[in-house]
Amino acid sequence: MDYAILIIGAIFFPLSGIILSLLAFPSRGIQHVIALATGALALLVSLTLLAANLTTGPVVVNIGGWEPPYGIVFVADLLSSLLLVMVNGVFLAGIVYVLSCQDRSVSFPVFTPLFLAMLTGLNGALLTGDIFTLFVFIELTVLSSVALVALSDDVLGLEAAMKYIFISSMGTLFLLIGIAGLYATFGSLNFADIAQALATGERPLLSEVALVMLMSAFLLKSAVFPFHFWQPDFHTTAPTPVHAMLSSIVVKIGIYGIIRVITLLFLDEASVIQGFLVVLGLIGIFYGSLGALRTYDGKRMLAYSTFGQIGFILVGIGWGTPLALLGAIVYIFNHGFIKASLMMLMGVVVSYTKPKTARLNGIVGVGTRVPPIVGVLFFLGGMALAGLPPMNGFISKVLLVRGGVEATDVWLSLGLIVGAGILTLTYMMRTWQQVFQQKFDETRTDIKIKAPGQGDSYFAPLVLIGVNLALGVFAGPLIYAAQLTVEQLGNPSVYITAVRLYGG
Amino acid sequence: MAFFFALAIGILVALGVFQILRRDLIKAALGFALLFTSVNLLFIAVGAFDGNRPAYYVDGPAAQPSDPLVQVLILTAIVVSFGSFALLLAIVNMISRRYRTIDSDEVSQLKK
Repeated sequence: MDYAILIIGAIFFPLSGIILSLLAFPSRGIQHVIALATGALALLVSLTLLAANLTTGPVVVNIGGWEPPYGIVFVADLLSSLLLVMVNGVFLAGIVYVLSCQDRSVSFPVFTPLFLAMLTGLNGALLTGDIFTLFVFIELTVLSSVALVALSDDVLGLEAAMKYIFISSMGTLFLLIGIAGLYATFGSLNFADIAQALATGERPLLSEVALVMLMSAFLLKSAVFPFHFWQPDFHTTAPTPVHAMLSSIVVKIGIYGIIRVITLLFLDEASVIQGFLVVLGLIGIFYGSLGALRTYDGKRMLAYSTFGQIGFILVGIGWGTPLALLGAIVYIFNHGFIKASLMMLMGVVVSYTKPKTARLNGIVGVGTRVPPIVGVLFFLGGMALAGLPPMNGFISKVLLVRGGVEATDVWLSLGLIVGAGILTLTYMMRTWQQVFQQKFDETRTDIKIKAPGQGDSYFAPLVLIGVNLALGVFAGPLIYAAQLTVEQLGNPSVYITAVRLYGG
Repeated sequence: MAFFFALAIGILVALGVFQILRRDLIKAALGFALLFTSVNLLFIAVGAFDGNRPAYYVDGPAAQPSDPLVQVLILTAIVVSFGSFALLLAIVNMISRRYRTIDSDEVSQLKK
């Protein structure tokens, strides 16, 4: 119980940040100091939580001292704490980006509180051991991101926000019906308690209905193939820092839910679900990559690319062997950092145009007018996304291929990774060439370029690309932690005994 | 009693889905209100072991009370769904001002 305070901290710090920054609304400076402080503290707490997990095992806290399953319990096992480190690391970089962001929407007094509300929701959803609390925290993330997109600089933000809130309310209903089904069947909302009841192999009437409802809701939150159509619109119109968070870490919440469902709760049905996930992932990879290849907008290209990368993760989960799952978890971790850095670099380039546009024909050659290091960083980010050494994208793709070779056909998995890698390389390098290599047409009248130093700062993506390079060169610790995670996921009794149901 | 719950939930879901599919954004938003209500009713039905008993007896028959947890759950669910419904209406309101219409077919600039 020594580390229990850390779990509270991971939720308390961003939550207090919301309230404090709301109270400090007349001053943007104080709001930024509060956001930076709470973000840094949350990152520190999550790193400590990961270290505690690696040394002693899962950390559990019973809120209010009530024994599970009667009370609400928060559990940090290795999967939760590993994803928590990713979420908080990327989010701190997002807060740093907000400091220098020139968007009008960022200067609104509600921006910082809403931004921190997203972090609170993500941290809470990763840490909770209770399915209803998971629903509440996911809703917190969804509603704050809808509000942030609705106040975006892009005039289409409002329409995209409306589209998403309609879709996501439907997802909320699915999730609630699933929760009602589980509660009706097992009389409990605690993950460990439900898992214990399901481990007997009995499947009472509503349990499989609940499974389908939960999976639909999680697939919808992650924008997987049949539920994907809102994602490019919603992500493209968001303000740059919000876009970076949405495409890198918010989509991972659904993936986290899927991993929990198939490794902890419905173990007997896992093979059926995994079959579906492989098919959906394959569709996602090629649909996303081809969509990114022929789109007309830089930010939209990266949103489509997320769709493809989520496909890789799903395929890894779908293959289901420990090695493939290891690849998927490393992929989740690395993709968060890669996609956030690329999104921010695109945001830096776009911030130098006036009027602001991300259309590819509008930003041709703009990259020659921004600080030259942005081009280098974008190239490195593109390499990471396509999976070239020495970046971390290479590590995650190699692990995934190893899992695929072991789980299925050699040629299928190799062809998949190489084919999608070539597609990724094509669209990233084409964009890089257009934006950073071609000359800017001085005679244009529709787009003006701001003077150097007038756009967003490239400090946050610089740090993130540094992290990507470090994770590529020194991949050992991450792979070690992910290996332990996979071992723990393979043995659900670790989670169940850690929760100490009924005081046992 | 379970039959009446099932019937009420079914009617509410049918009405809600019908409203969502309409072009009028305000009616679609109200459809969500109906759907959230139907889910709340589903939670109540889940917890009512024996029909319409209260959750807690101060005195009275020593029979089995209803499950109190679901009533707490729907309180939370009502708060969350109220929040998202309010946000939905706010967005529809802003859309009606910016686009001068609430016909969802005409709010389609993203297609371009």
